[in-house]
Amino acid sequence: MLLFGLLLLLPLTNPSANTVRLLLTTAVWIITSIGWNLLGGLTGQVSFGFAVFYGLGAYATALMINAGRSPYFAFLGGIAVAVLASFLVGLPTFRLRGPYFAIATIGVGEATRVIMNNLDITGGASGYRIVEHTPFRQLEHYYSAVIIAAIALAISALVFHSKFGLALRAIKQDQEAAADLGVNPYLSKLWVHAIAAGLTGVAGGLYARYHAFIYPGDVFAFQTSIYILLMPVIGGIGTVWGPVLGGVIFGMVEEELTVHFQNTHLLLYGLLLILIILFEPDGLVGLLRRLSKKLKSRRSREDSGSNDPEQILRRRGGVEGR
Amino acid sequence: MAALKDVSFDIPEKHICGFIGPNGAGKTTLFNVITGTFRPSGGRVKLRGRDVTGMSPSALVKRGMARTHQIVRPFKGMTVLENVQVAVHYGRRAVNRTAAAREHAMDTLQLVGLDHKANLLASALSLGEQKRLEVARALATAPELLLLDEICGGLTGAETRSMMDLLHRIRESGATLMYVEHEMKAIMSVCDRITVLNFGQKLAEGKPEEIQNDEAVIEAYLGKSSFRSTPRA
Repeated sequence: MLLFGLLLLLPLTNPSANTVRLLLTTAVWIITSIGWNLLGGLTGQVSFGFAVFYGLGAYATALMINAGRSPYFAFLGGIAVAVLASFLVGLPTFRLRGPYFAIATIGVGEATRVIMNNLDITGGASGYRIVEHTPFRQLEHYYSAVIIAAIALAISALVFHSKFGLALRAIKQDQEAAADLGVNPYLSKLWVHAIAAGLTGVAGGLYARYHAFIYPGDVFAFQTSIYILLMPVIGGIGTVWGPVLGGVIFGMVEEELTVHFQNTHLLLYGLLLILIILFEPDGLVGLLRRLSKKLKSRRSREDSGSNDPEQILRRRGGVEGR
Repeated sequence: MAALKDVSFDIPEKHICGFIGPNGAGKTTLFNVITGTFRPSGGRVKLRGRDVTGMSPSALVKRGMARTHQIVRPFKGMTVLENVQVAVHYGRRAVNRTAAAREHAMDTLQLVGLDHKANLLASALSLGEQKRLEVARALATAPELLLLDEICGGLTGAETRSMMDLLHRIRESGATLMYVEHEMKAIMSVCDRITVLNFGQKLAEGKPEEIQNDEAVIEAYLGKSSFRSTPRA
């Protein structure tokens, strides 16, 4: 709440256009990150194909704006197209398990990119321009992105703490056992996929409207899918705040990395991914939890002196050296 | 090869029907066919007269059939209470409100004697406790027919005794049970009727006392030596 309030008040401090742009981009990334986390983090279905929904959301929004619709109505159109696409992708692929699902989503993503590269009505690979007949107001773009990010976070928190969220967690742990308790894994996955795709689609719409120019090599790129899954992994997969944290960090460093390590920035992401999976699978949220636990236990040890034999030993210097 | 052949039986309401047989007799396969995990190549499964053959496990739960697994499958990263809560939400009664579901889940945990561990992660439970959690989850779906697959397997003597206490309590609550078990004492003491399977076929059927004295059963399942001296078969 506080964070959100600060972000809304921020423009009062007269930030530079570039700062606003960076924050806006970050908000858009956060929305996709929150979306992916619902399917990949909470439900444990790792998808490498979220660029499909990002790109379709972007293109649908772009087409509707150019057809003279209000941009906000066009966002809704972007959501609708992304949700529809999520069912088309999900219906066959959710019959697959684990790694096979992940591989299938790569195929779907690449196929979509190739189709969009050759689709004449959107200019194919050379891209598509959006023409709005109202003056450009950066802050309007900014506010819409921040508010939608807040809504996305609220939806995510709601799902996490609902009966539905509990079923999704059960599916992540053991799909068959969940089915034996009455959960329908197939339908549950389709629904959470739809929510995730809708969020990713509106993020694509925000991006398209702000940039006023999109092309398949960007919004449908495999790289985009990787970015979308990288953020929740950095922040903490399967937690409410993880994707926000990951999105903030990614949004802030992405451009710098791309500029300074033009050829190697993907390698850096790969390395980061490996390090996180090896040492802190729960991402930054996991790291923070561990630190706060350590602090707490240290404090309680200083306060009262503990009876835990291991801690007593450690105080005597018996265990420390191992 | 058929894992099951011409096995036909009824489970009357409020009866506890036991199924025994040597390893590989087809007990677990029978379970998987009934609960929708496997689709049979022939034959029918009827629940209260309605044909439910080949229905998905989750659809069967909604119609009042629940099962436990021989090899326990708790949601290890969730608390004991949450494990049961899923079953209350998505079982036959489909309780929607979280508070009501938690309360009901707590009652079920109390029944199986795990209420004091409600907020622990399921991974922290011992095997005996995980088996009881398995039973609690199945019970929490409010089944009309409950299928128990070797819930005493691998338990210590004390754990087996407490599991049998639980079985008697479930029996008193008027449940209809289909019970597969290796542990002879358990199955003989709680079942109204016992069916013996061997090589995927029905070998014998009757009251526990009848089965214990059935020559064919003793030979196929227990060996030539007397059953009473080797209760663990």
